[in-house]
Amino acid sequence: MKRAVPTGEMTLGPFFPREFGQGANDLTSIEGVKAKGEIIEITGRVTQGDGAPLDNAILELWQADAEGRFDDPLFLGWGRAATDASGVYRFRTIRPGAYAGRAAHVNLLILFSGLMRQLQTVMFFEDARDPVLDAVQPASARSRLVAVKEKDGTYRFDIRLRGEGETPFFDD
Amino acid sequence: MGTLIERRDPLTQPQGVEEGYALTALRWPSQPLQRRPLTASELGGPQQVLRRLAPVRGDLAGHGAKRAIGQLIHLRARVVDEDGAPVGGAAVEVWHANAAGKYIHPNDSHDAPADPNFYGAARVVADPDGLVELRTIKPGAYPVPDSKAWWRPPHIHFSVFGRVWLSRLVTQMYFPGEPLNESDAVLNAIRDPQARSRCIARLTSTASSHALVYEYQLVVRGRNGTPSLP
Repeated sequence: MKRAVPTGEMTLGPFFPREFGQGANDLTSIEGVKAKGEIIEITGRVTQGDGAPLDNAILELWQADAEGRFDDPLFLGWGRAATDASGVYRFRTIRPGAYAGRAAHVNLLILFSGLMRQLQTVMFFEDARDPVLDAVQPASARSRLVAVKEKDGTYRFDIRLRGEGETPFFDD
Repeated sequence: MGTLIERRDPLTQPQGVEEGYALTALRWPSQPLQRRPLTASELGGPQQVLRRLAPVRGDLAGHGAKRAIGQLIHLRARVVDEDGAPVGGAAVEVWHANAAGKYIHPNDSHDAPADPNFYGAARVVADPDGLVELRTIKPGAYPVPDSKAWWRPPHIHFSVFGRVWLSRLVTQMYFPGEPLNESDAVLNAIRDPQARSRCIARLTSTASSHALVYEYQLVVRGRNGTPSLP
């Protein structure tokens, strides 16, 4: 018997405290213990409908550990980053493993003024068979969820909230 | 037994592009949101974000000569799931403007005075009954930059971590009897009147000689207690 309706989501606004947005974007260790796996960097620029970058947008990341596990006590799997004045965010993490039917991926949610609800998207490391990636329509938009591996080994994942090249977002 | 996470109800949740809130038309996606199957990835979630995010004091009002200016309030907020079951241990982040409507943030250009005794941000943990308590001052209203005299009503921002990734809740709490509530584009994005009224705190009759006491409920998505991963 359902008794309570989820509270209406509302925008994070532009003034999320700076100190809350900082210091949580390195997932490679927790309480001084280093996670197992390949250390990687994920970075990108967040832009709005007219192409302008967003300052102080908040991104949160949730991923499996290197073996595809979500219950690793030595790897929290969660982090938060804020974009800088040029719209750029940065995470340092380990490359997640694939697991039970899912290709390697990281979940991302975006919070900011002008976004009345959290926006959910997913970054993949390569164009792989995956039930979430395969669900994206039209199929031509799927490549926008696959990160670009740069020469220096970082994974670039730009997020366009609206407009040309718009990132696919999920409702669930 | 229902599904763990049900689809959002469009009447009780904002749609995305909202009348009177111009930025939403610049930032909310133009394409329909995608549907996806839910797997262990979305139905799991960080169980211990507080290992990464250190708690910060739940007293924003200060004491004695260091008291923040404004109406002192006690806020008792309860975090529950869709079954009404308390979400004990939930991490809750809170931030709001000072009594003059000014945030402690370098991007806030509003011409209102800062209050050196007002800190403006807290991170607290819900007790086993899902309760978080805050001692703070009532925030002031302020004008939205680049808007045509849209003043936000006094409100307190909440960021709540539920039990799974899809339970994440970011919202704003309002105060009863505020005329600005009637026309606020953010509050009125919740179209269902009952759901909207639940976004307004309740002034209790337990006011002490020190402070007004408000009660509030934060309902995060999800049912059936702690989920087991599929």
